[in-house]
Order: sequence, then C-alpha cells, then structure tokens
Amino acid sequence: MKVRGTNPNFMNGVPELLILQLLQQEEMYGYEIVQAIRERTDAAIAIGEGVVYPVLHGLEQDGALRSRRKTVNGRSRIYYSVTAAGSRRLAHLSQTWKNLTTAIQTVLTGGQRGKAIS
Amino acid sequence: MAKPFHELCERLLQAGVAPRYVRRYLAELSDHLADLQTEEIRAGRSTADAESASLVRLGSMDDLAKAMIEQRQLQSWCARAPWAVFSLAPAMGLAAAWAIALFILWSGWQIFLPEAATPFGAGHFRLFDLANIYFQFGKAIYFFAPVLIGWGIWILAIRQRTKTWWPTLGMLLLALAASSGHVSATRTAVRGGFPHVRMGLTLDLIQEGPSGFLHMIVVFSVAALPYVAWRVYQAYWQTT
Repeated sequence: MKVRGTNPNFMNGVPELLILQLLQQEEMYGYEIVQAIRERTDAAIAIGEGVVYPVLHGLEQDGALRSRRKTVNGRSRIYYSVTAAGSRRLAHLSQTWKNLTTAIQTVLTGGQRGKAIS
Repeated sequence: MAKPFHELCERLLQAGVAPRYVRRYLAELSDHLADLQTEEIRAGRSTADAESASLVRLGSMDDLAKAMIEQRQLQSWCARAPWAVFSLAPAMGLAAAWAIALFILWSGWQIFLPEAATPFGAGHFRLFDLANIYFQFGKAIYFFAPVLIGWGIWILAIRQRTKTWWPTLGMLLLALAASSGHVSATRTAVRGGFPHVRMGLTLDLIQEGPSGFLHMIVVFSVAALPYVAWRVYQAYWQTT
C-alpha cells in the first residue's frame, strides 16, 4: 500500500495493522475500510485507495481474514472480517508496533537504550 | 472492462497473479471507483471531474499493479511451478487416462471376448453392440486424451498469459509420448488363461517410420488449435 506524503520506508506493515484493527471491531468492505482509515487518522495517512485490496486478499489467503458477499442497497459487496488467526496476528503486530514506537521515542528524546524489538 | 482495467488485467496475469484473484481485484476496483464517483458527485463536482478525481484517488496503474504483484501468495501455480503445471501434471493426466483406457480394454476382453486370444479382434461386433461401444469408448480415451490434455495446457497458458515456451515444451513431451505409446495383450498359455494388457513407450521414431512422426505432428498441431485461435483473435482485436 503506497502512502502519499509519508515516507514509505516507515510504512512497512502499517496498512496491515490498521486493516486488522478496523476489521476487529466490525466487518467492512474495501471502500468503508479506506474511508475509516482516512477519518480516524485525520487524513494523515492518505493512500492510493485501490491498493487496499491486495492487502485484504493477502491477509485472507494467509487465513487472517474471511470474506463473504453481501447485497446492500442493490449492490453486491465483499465484506471482510477477522478470523481467530487474524486476532492473534493483530495482537502480535500491535505489540511489535508499541515496542518500535517506544524505542524510537526513547532515541528521539535522548533516553537510554531500550529493550530489543521483537 | 474499462481500458485502464484491461491493461491492469493483462499486467497482473503476465506477472503471474492467479486469474481468480485478478477477476476479484478488478471487480472490487470497479465497485470502489463507482463509490468514489458517487461521493465526488455528491461533493458538487461535474461527472467528468468526478471520474478523473476518482481515478486519481483509486491510484495509478503502476501502484495498483505493484501492490498486487508484491503479494506473492496470490501467484498462480503456472507462475510458481510452470514445470509442474505444463510438464508433470499433463504427463500424470495422460498416464491416468491411458490407465483407464487399458482397464476398459482388459475388462472388455474379460466380459465380451472371454475365449479370444486377443481383445483386438472386436471388429466383428455390430456398430451399436454394447461390446463395440465399450471398446470404442476405451479407444477414444486412448487416442483423444493427449489432444484433450494438450487443449488444457494451452487454455491454461492463455488464461495465465504464460510465455509460449513452457506450454510448447509440455506439448512436445505429450505429443512424443502419444506417438510412442503402444499396447500389447497376451493370455497365459493355458485354456481360459488370465489376460494381460501391457503398455510400453517406444521412443524410436526412426524405427516407427514416418507414421510415428506424423502422429506426433498431428497431436501437437490439433492440440495447439485453441492457442492459434486465441492469437488470431488477439491480433484481430488489437487492429480493430
């Protein structure tokens, strides 16, 4: 997923983390996911919207998501939701992310060397 | 399919993304584009402006293609292991089809010609005799299996936009096997002895003479027909 206006080197794994977190709360289809990311990050993360789908397909192929087709207002949508494996993956990614941000924050504020990042 | 999506489709297939994922991706992109256009029109843009703004928001063709190609788990088996899809699987398919054909020959011999020394004398049956239909069915499987499997190879190659040389190699091996297979049948040398049907591959095209070589050419050419038809269609489609 390309992130515009953000250094892509810092974004590895972020779309996956955001998508899993959003879908953990409720099932959504692609357009809703993109809108939710935009709204909840105050558009700080502005993405090429179509590239959310390869991430969704990859996560589904890995067993982290499941999908189902649902007709809403006469239009057929593919809704995604998190599986048990996806919840475990989210927990692991969240922990890694927290460790990473803590370590970076420590460096930026000139503190002591933090623990190793898993 | 809209032209930008047609180009995207071709790029993804050529990069080895499985056709089912490509179809689903394009369907979801089309829906997403429609949602974006609705949103832009509601925001007060003209239809033309809404269309161009929606395409920008959706992402460039390069980004859309790259994001999908980077998901390695969405690659098809044709891209991951072309040697298996175009060589090993057809060989196994041919072996299975020939095994069925030989079983039909062997069982037909047991059922309809229990006293005959060979099952190949089934020619005296009338056209619609059950025995004749049974033996001809086995014969049809034996002779048409290479062509049917060959069509499968080429159709897979077309669907996945595989480079021509993999299916060509697989088809050559298949045609070679088809032209070199021979069946023999013997009965143990006692009264009412047990029938045996054997199959061997003789790869000596020189000894087989031109008929073996011709058989190979015919199987290869007939099996390649869908691919030739597709290339002609593609050429026609591109010029119109």
